Amino acid sequence: MVGAIAALLYPGTAYCQSTPDPTDPGKGVFKRANCMGCHKWHGHGGGGYGGDALSLRKTELTREQIIETVRCGRPGTGMPFFERGAYDSIKCYDMNRQDAGGTMPPEANVFLRTKDVEEVADYVIMHIKGKAEPSFAECISFFSETSRVCDVYKKAEQPPSSAPDTAKPQ
Amino acid sequence: MTRFKGRSAIVRAGMLAVGFATAAYMADRSPAYADDVTPERLLNADKEAGNWLHHHKNFSATRFSSLNEINGGNVKNLKVAWTMHLGGVEGGGIWSHGGLEGTPIVENGFMYVTDGWGSVYKIDTHGGHGDLLWKMDPKTDHDWAGAVACCGVDNRGVALWGNLVISHTLDGRLIATNKDTGQVAWQRTVADPNKGEVITGAPLIVKDMAITGVAGAEYGIRGWIAATDLKTQKEVWRTFTIPGKDEAGSETWKDDKNAAASGGGSTWVTGTYDPTTNTLLWGVGNPGPDWDNAYRPGDNLYTDSSLALDADTGKIKWHYQHTPNDPYDYDSVAENVMVDVQGTNGPQKLALEADRNGFAYAIDRTTGRFVWGLPFVKKVTWTKGIDPESGKPLEYDSKKQVQTYNTEVTPSREHKVADICPGNMGGKNWPPTAYNPELKLWYIPVIESCNRVTVEEATQDKIKPREFFTGGGPSQPFKITGSVTAIDVTTGKIAGKAELPFPNLGGILATPDLVFSGQPSGEVIAFDGKSLQKLWEFNTGGGVNAPPMSFSVDGKQYIAILVGLGGAWDKWFIDSTPELKKMQPGSTLYVFSL
Repeated sequence: MVGAIAALLYPGTAYCQSTPDPTDPGKGVFKRANCMGCHKWHGHGGGGYGGDALSLRKTELTREQIIETVRCGRPGTGMPFFERGAYDSIKCYDMNRQDAGGTMPPEANVFLRTKDVEEVADYVIMHIKGKAEPSFAECISFFSETSRVCDVYKKAEQPPSSAPDTAKPQ
Repeated sequence: MTRFKGRSAIVRAGMLAVGFATAAYMADRSPAYADDVTPERLLNADKEAGNWLHHHKNFSATRFSSLNEINGGNVKNLKVAWTMHLGGVEGGGIWSHGGLEGTPIVENGFMYVTDGWGSVYKIDTHGGHGDLLWKMDPKTDHDWAGAVACCGVDNRGVALWGNLVISHTLDGRLIATNKDTGQVAWQRTVADPNKGEVITGAPLIVKDMAITGVAGAEYGIRGWIAATDLKTQKEVWRTFTIPGKDEAGSETWKDDKNAAASGGGSTWVTGTYDPTTNTLLWGVGNPGPDWDNAYRPGDNLYTDSSLALDADTGKIKWHYQHTPNDPYDYDSVAENVMVDVQGTNGPQKLALEADRNGFAYAIDRTTGRFVWGLPFVKKVTWTKGIDPESGKPLEYDSKKQVQTYNTEVTPSREHKVADICPGNMGGKNWPPTAYNPELKLWYIPVIESCNRVTVEEATQDKIKPREFFTGGGPSQPFKITGSVTAIDVTTGKIAGKAELPFPNLGGILATPDLVFSGQPSGEVIAFDGKSLQKLWEFNTGGGVNAPPMSFSVDGKQYIAILVGLGGAWDKWFIDSTPELKKMQPGSTLYVFSL
């Protein structure tokens, strides 16, 4: 905590000198728009109560196609559209709301601006698309180390340590 | 713990760190207000008419309050007495927000409620208003637990023992909090989110033990029920709901893939206790993977079963399975309500269970033998009915390894897209029933539903820690409604049905001549206990996702209910009730009186 305060007060310290990841804003959009609510933090998506969100790790979509999918959603699926006015003032896949009819995708909980959509697409391309199984390093870079959410990847990669807080019957 | 002084709610600077809580001493409330909650008081909970000491009101889970100041003659005058905004609405993991599913506990005018992330609030209800005395925030690890909570950021409430408030957290802890100070006395890890285990149910206190159930059958867990000795804080027993190799029942897992090890069988609804036989009754949830039953040939005991266990040892006394080799996600986690009635052939000691598969079951709770059963939903398609002798689905064939029931509508590897009624949320989900022992009527909070299941073939390589292992998923092409359905327990027949526009996601309270329930569209409703005619309604403006309860203080009766839509519905099932998309997240306690 003290270090963090010092870093805020003295922005010239080494704390702030690491090169920022240019896709960090896109990671912020990925969290804020709750992409992780269906695709999970690692983008693998998968089954479950929400049906089957597609794997962004296995996607073959180009940057432009990802941008279009985020803006317009995927008709006939649960993937929502994130662009204000999509299917109304702005046609999507050459369709308005009437044309889409029963395949009209749901409206997202938040709308994203063009720059946000581009940033999240860049984040997906750089950090998710084409990647194999999620790793501990990747998880920590997403969540930082404040949550135990990444422990499971650490355990998979390393011999189990004697962590005191794992559940064991006493 | 943060402690507040009287109505001014001044927080004194927190100085005493308890690791996860900030404590501050205030001397304004004497511990003399509190009485220790003894096992004897818990056994005789119904003798304390103004209190609500157990999650389900009593060990039998009748959720019947004998208070009758509020009755059919005057309920039309019921008004909001006070409200209190609570917290815990923030998201975490795959969830954008939390919700409220808890039942308030009230002892001698002091109320204890939880929010979805497991914070406990103690509220003084004396004097016709609510006064927050302390809040214990367990600092639940949101992302860790929220990422493996299949069905929402939920906590269904606390229990009382001695001078401690006993609660669970989503991230797997059992916590004991000093009732007077709000300081955490101790905590113990019971479930492990790294294995996909979380806890949403309220603890059940039996003697000096806290009984804990687990959730996580969508993540490849092997379910269990565990008892913790509250005096020593050690585990007394842990009974797995899926038998180990060579144990009785293991022969019902006939695969060669060790499917039992990830076979599900969660226990996330608080059970009941029969002190005359020292028997716990506890419901067990779906097998995993949920929808690919060809992955796990055999009956898959003890999934989808009611289990009777010796309370001291956890040893299984009997089981009754409702949906063998379940391909629908028809959990039997529901509470088993203990009811004694005079049947046609003499006195009956029944366990009543309203199953997700759409049938209500009465089981002889001494032997585990089927007594009667009937559909309580308007539409059942997965089976043509149940056998009047055994209660098993008519199409059940014990020689078959993979059950297909009504093949035309049953999801399978051959029939990958199937529409089922009830839908996979079931005819009744976790929201509790209530039983009026005077009218002999049992009230079920019903989801009148169908939905679509798409099967995806499960393979062993899909089992990964903290990842869904469901063998497919549901979608919602059909509109879903709800009802309160009453069953006459002396005849085993439906006595009435009050249809509701939305599914019943909150549960029921019964009083001598009334029934209270809520709607996810905001209404709290009072019905006539016999006719189920609506007598009173108030719109809270927030989605009702929790059961109503009743208590008295200063000689006056109140009805209390938590309001704030959470749970699975607004993420996974909202397309079946598009009108509910407008409901906003919230976290408020409503208290009503005349």
